[in-house]
Amino acid sequence: MKSFDVTTTATETKVAIRGSLDINSAPALNEEVDKIIAVKPARVLVDLAGLELIDSSGVAALVKLYKGIRGGGGAITIANARDQPLAIFKLLRMDKVFNL
Amino acid sequence: MPAPIRLVVPGSLRYRAIAVRVVAEAARLVSCSKVANPNDPLAHDVRDPFDTAVVSAFMEIFNNVAIHAYKRRASGMIELTLTPTDTDLTIEIKDQGSPFDIEEVAPLPEELDEDSLPEGGMGIHIAKTMLDEVHYEPGPPNLWRLCKRLHVHTARPT
Repeated sequence: MKSFDVTTTATETKVAIRGSLDINSAPALNEEVDKIIAVKPARVLVDLAGLELIDSSGVAALVKLYKGIRGGGGAITIANARDQPLAIFKLLRMDKVFNL
Repeated sequence: MPAPIRLVVPGSLRYRAIAVRVVAEAARLVSCSKVANPNDPLAHDVRDPFDTAVVSAFMEIFNNVAIHAYKRRASGMIELTLTPTDTDLTIEIKDQGSPFDIEEVAPLPEELDEDSLPEGGMGIHIAKTMLDEVHYEPGPPNLWRLCKRLHVHTARPT
């Protein structure tokens, strides 16, 4: 089952992730990440409010998105991480980089 | 506490969710964490710090076995033995796949910034940091022994 939705407006691309972002679901997100990065959006919002579990594969997909957007000169905000996903970002010390 | 919980699944990522579900419930036996919604038994309800540590670490080790030991070919089984007590949870994970060189895992960078954000190699670091013990014996069978203890700040109420 797809664990994310992407909506694009004139000013922003929003990626809402839900459920479990893991080694089984991350490849689909990675494909979408490639498409998002390719169009060089000015602003991306990643909403993790619905994300319940994440593993290192899921983290890698988000890092790829973050680096791709920043590398293309865009702005990216990762927001609303909670519970297990927030604990993982803190453990990996990514909470400060992502401003969670 | 109940007797050890045993589960044997094919060494495939298709069985990962089942194994994670069982491990999450075994962790809950130790932490006594509350279920957020008793009417939704399939929800990923991992909020308690003890449960979070156990599930996070286990997911990484299961991934490791399916990918590195069985090379995504599901060419063997994964045997799980979960032993909950009042104070800790021990998880033994056995496989018959290729041995893994845990010493070759590179540490994460000391200082993390945008440029040094890692895109891989985080799994074993997560497991080691989340748990009190991560022990690996190359086989066959290869054996991972994971242990998480209830600490003062995560101890269940009396």
